Amino acid sequence: MIRQTTFAIVTMLGAVQMACGGAAVPHQELSTAQASVRAAEVGGATQHPQAELSLKHANDKIAEAQALIADGENELAALRLREAESDAELALALALKEQAKKDAEMALKRIKLMMGETRS
Amino acid sequence: MSTFHSQRASRLALVLGTLATVTACGGAAVPPPELVAARSAYEEASTGPAAELAPARLDTAKQALGAAENAWKEDPKAKEPETLSLAYIAERRALTTSAIGEAAQARASRIKLDEEYMELERKRATMTQEELERVRARLAIESQKSAQTEAELAKERAARADAEKRLSAAVASLAEMASVKEEARGMVITLNGSVLFTTGKYQLLPIAKQKLDEVAKALQAQGFKKIVIEGHTDSRGSVQDNEELSQRRAQAVKDHLVSQGLESPKIQAIGLAATRPLDTNDTPEGRANNRRVELIVTN
Repeated sequence: MIRQTTFAIVTMLGAVQMACGGAAVPHQELSTAQASVRAAEVGGATQHPQAELSLKHANDKIAEAQALIADGENELAALRLREAESDAELALALALKEQAKKDAEMALKRIKLMMGETRS
Repeated sequence: MSTFHSQRASRLALVLGTLATVTACGGAAVPPPELVAARSAYEEASTGPAAELAPARLDTAKQALGAAENAWKEDPKAKEPETLSLAYIAERRALTTSAIGEAAQARASRIKLDEEYMELERKRATMTQEELERVRARLAIESQKSAQTEAELAKERAARADAEKRLSAAVASLAEMASVKEEARGMVITLNGSVLFTTGKYQLLPIAKQKLDEVAKALQAQGFKKIVIEGHTDSRGSVQDNEELSQRRAQAVKDHLVSQGLESPKIQAIGLAATRPLDTNDTPEGRANNRRVELIVTN
């Protein structure tokens, strides 16, 4: 609901801006950044501190971009949204890395356990 | 050597000249920290596992850094917001690439460890199977041995029962001329002297031989440790004669038993004359009881 409202506001502001002859409202950048944030969340970014920090940066930048759009600063908003997208991607990559490392540690632990059992 | 020094001097002159030109034109612009951080992050990504495991991602990071570099080169002042933003993105892309490279490395490591684990599992299962087979084989042998032992024991029990039966039968057939008693010194078979020998003689009577044959067979079947054959007389006559007669009678019984297959070293014959009377020597009946041969069988 909130997202829909945000989208409606951004669309409306964009239309106004276009009418005034400035840069277009970065709809594409906004939806891409938001999709990246969702992907990072689904990928487990909230479960790892480093990834969570990057995710926060992404969300902060999206919020900043939305404020800029509201002020008609669409060009700057587009930059922030691309930055947000890269933050969200980093968050996802960090989450995947942490998970992969954890899995590898578990695999090693499993082997050590078995070797211990075999010896005893 | 001189050529080397000359080349170095030329290079130094070139560098100094370039610097002088740059300074004369107002100085080279210092790259923003964001761009420096992006370069450093890319450098790290390109020398990490991503170079091998995530080359496409590394290329994306390279392009992002290139875009930032171009923006900065084109117009550092006018394009500052865009440069900073592109540098920020380039750094994030490089960091993302590094993370993806490390994740790929960790995944590869996990796959390898999983394979090792499976291999160990297989080995352990094989080992367990082999151990199981060994235990089964051992149990089969033990079971076979046990069955054999059981069969042997049963056979032995049957043989012993048969021997005992035969001994009992032999002893029973001796009933009219012998008595059998279990004493602390062993089984004592007392044979009446008048049934075994003619008065004053030590040759066994035919009927006595026949009965002793049965006793010999029974003892052989049952087995024994030792047999002591004691010859006894009444008190009439000289001691020397009685000693000699009792010894010869005991020896006659021994010789007959040995002739029937009993082991000589396990049999001892002794003459005790009238030293151990069973009854009185004052009546004919008592003296008849004292004239005897005793077989003491120990198992």
